[in-house]
Amino acid sequence: MTKKISLGVAGQKKMYTAFLIAAVILFVLTSVYTNFNPMTLVKNGDAFWSFITEDFLPPALPKASRIPGVLSSVLVTLALALSATTIAAIFAFFIALFGSEKVSPFPKFAKVVRGFATFLRNIPALVWAFILFSSLGIGTGVGFAALFITSLAFMVRAFVETMEDVSQDCVESLLAVGASFPQRVSQAILPSCLNGFLSWFLYCIEVNIRASTIVGMVGGGGVGLTLFTYIKGFQYDVALSIILLIAAMVIVVDRITGRLRKEISK
Amino acid sequence: MERTIGNSAAAQNVSKKEAKISVGCNQKNRFIPIFMTGTVLLTMISLIYLNIDWLKLASRVPQIGEVFCELAHFDFSNIDQIFSSILETVSIAVLSLLYSLVLGIVFGMLAARNIFRIKWLSVLTQSVFTFLRAVPTPVWVLLMLVCLGMGPEAGVAGLCVHTTAFFTKSFAQSFESIPDETIEALEATGTGRISIFTNAVLPAAFSQIVAWTGMRLETNFSECAVLGMVGAGGVGFVISRNLQSYEYGTAGLAIVFVFVIAYCIERLFVALKKKIAQ
Amino acid sequence: MAEILKFENVSKHYSNGVHALEHVNFTVNEGEFISVIGPSGSGKSTILRSINKLISITDGHIYLDGVSVSQQKGKNLRELRRKVGMIFQNYNLVYSLSVIQNVLHGCLGYMNGVKGVCGLYSEEDKKKALALLEELGMESFANNRASDLSGGQKQRVGIARAIMQEPKLLLCDEPIASLDPSSAKTIMDLLRSMTSKRGIACIVNLHQLDVAVKYSTRIIGLSKGEIVFDGAPEALTDERIERIYGTSRENLMIGASAND
Repeated sequence: MTKKISLGVAGQKKMYTAFLIAAVILFVLTSVYTNFNPMTLVKNGDAFWSFITEDFLPPALPKASRIPGVLSSVLVTLALALSATTIAAIFAFFIALFGSEKVSPFPKFAKVVRGFATFLRNIPALVWAFILFSSLGIGTGVGFAALFITSLAFMVRAFVETMEDVSQDCVESLLAVGASFPQRVSQAILPSCLNGFLSWFLYCIEVNIRASTIVGMVGGGGVGLTLFTYIKGFQYDVALSIILLIAAMVIVVDRITGRLRKEISK
Repeated sequence: MERTIGNSAAAQNVSKKEAKISVGCNQKNRFIPIFMTGTVLLTMISLIYLNIDWLKLASRVPQIGEVFCELAHFDFSNIDQIFSSILETVSIAVLSLLYSLVLGIVFGMLAARNIFRIKWLSVLTQSVFTFLRAVPTPVWVLLMLVCLGMGPEAGVAGLCVHTTAFFTKSFAQSFESIPDETIEALEATGTGRISIFTNAVLPAAFSQIVAWTGMRLETNFSECAVLGMVGAGGVGFVISRNLQSYEYGTAGLAIVFVFVIAYCIERLFVALKKKIAQ
Repeated sequence: MAEILKFENVSKHYSNGVHALEHVNFTVNEGEFISVIGPSGSGKSTILRSINKLISITDGHIYLDGVSVSQQKGKNLRELRRKVGMIFQNYNLVYSLSVIQNVLHGCLGYMNGVKGVCGLYSEEDKKKALALLEELGMESFANNRASDLSGGQKQRVGIARAIMQEPKLLLCDEPIASLDPSSAKTIMDLLRSMTSKRGIACIVNLHQLDVAVKYSTRIIGLSKGEIVFDGAPEALTDERIERIYGTSRENLMIGASAND
């Protein structure tokens, strides 16, 4: 082994330089490959600007007869995100119990469980949606399934990490007491990790509100689909007000989850 | 064992008349049970509202297996196309990340309350970016596609909006976590605002910036892989087009590529995090 | 005196090549208070954890109350474990539960089915837990959250939980390593008095040589996984200490060597 870089100032400077050099090289390589020139954005600036001012502004309301439909599509998006996350969380809890060597009664299978979760998680939700659309057809149910799969995988990993961080010690002490696996789960893991689980659950809700909008765009229904229809129909001013609606929805949900998180950790 | 169980059963009969000893905590968080019941209730209402035809869905579940079988029959004939599209996706992800990094540092400087100490400027920057962050990335890309036409520009610009917004918020947080004394000490020497930022604040927040960047690369790649599905180029386009035209072999291979790269980025990030934590 | 525990030629080799225990032989009788001493990494913790099979041994036999530990599985293993109480350096309580709930965890090994899972303890067990807390001077904290206690108090809850099991043998893994000197003394006094009152044999892993000499009836010295000393505290000469720790007695005492 060569000499280790200490945590001193010199080491940090080296990391700086390495990071900068890597960034510059990557920048040049990717710019050349994609042929991306920020100047084209500036050059097209006028057209871009006039497009925004003329086509998008001011935001217009959809036809009065359509408004209830738009609002109910927002509800669909919210309902989709909430139900998929909750049900995924319940399943994730039971799967996560078998995903940690230190907690699971079958430590040899823990790697398999985690590997499966990694596989599910590293394929984006929208790709899942497409795979499911081609097998199950289009509809809210499929949007639900796509969200369910990715949130399940995400929460399995998050829950396993929480359990290994928080409850390893008390699981050991209950093992020594002679407690059975269900007893260890209900008396040690659940009470000590519940706050952590709920906090991850809230984070997952935040992510899924956005994801369910997107999944909706390609066929899962909800406000995403509404937006997509207006854009495809060149009604950009209406689309803008829907975008504002989506933003409002996301901000409100973020505020609520932030508040809930504070209450839970009290 | 019999002894204990027998005894405790007897004792239960005796103690039924006495007051029960409570074993719970005095200072319980009463909110958690309310929250959990509320969530379950809302979920049930949501499920009823969504009115999903579970039976129909379940009857089609075997088809998922078939699709997966077909996806697993990799078709290598279009590998050069897959390869170039995935390279394009990675490039767009990295490029937008780098542009956003610079923009994020600039806007983060404006949004942090302790750099310029102009309250309205921080509030304004933060609220604009809160809005930008609240709209999902594919929506921005879709809008950019409309404005700029097909091509990497739309992808990079669209991804930049959301990524910059994310970085602005996270970097501002990192900048604000720097102790005021450090800044005051430099102020006392008469250093300008910008040079205080570049000389004291930025180096102190550097490791956090690296961590945020690594974390964001993961997200950016998966967002970018998806963009093709709403009409932009890249590997997402290859996947969705091949799925729609039942070319499962090609789509399956592309999905495997996406998985492998996403997995590598995740591993890289975990290693980076460990190194920084050391 | 009845023999409770017997180590017969026990070895433990970890998969990374570390030999934690090498041919360890000793027996423990009822009522003994044994300290296991030795430098870090000498296998103290492995000895303790192999007794209740939190760690499985590679070779040899451990007999607890005449039953071989290594062959036990499932329900039998749980029944065996409940004969052995354990106290940990980091207390290992469930901090979000109340003190008395943590104590009652000691009787989980005796409970079956839904009652154990739901934590529906019998009134008799609750009374017993309260009595134990009273004996340890903790009765006023019974319904407090375990996270609000100080280190010494947490360890007292740990002791109550272990005694609640009605064990024949008590294992203490560095019980005072995270405590200040005055709480450490309280904990050691309590351990000594509670075990001798109930005739429970006790094995304690210790870093503090002076504590080991003061409290134990017998000391086992470990070095690199082998027993290099096994005898009464009085027999622990400077030469033997040097053999255990590989350094002289003066180097082990922080400023206290002048006192003894």
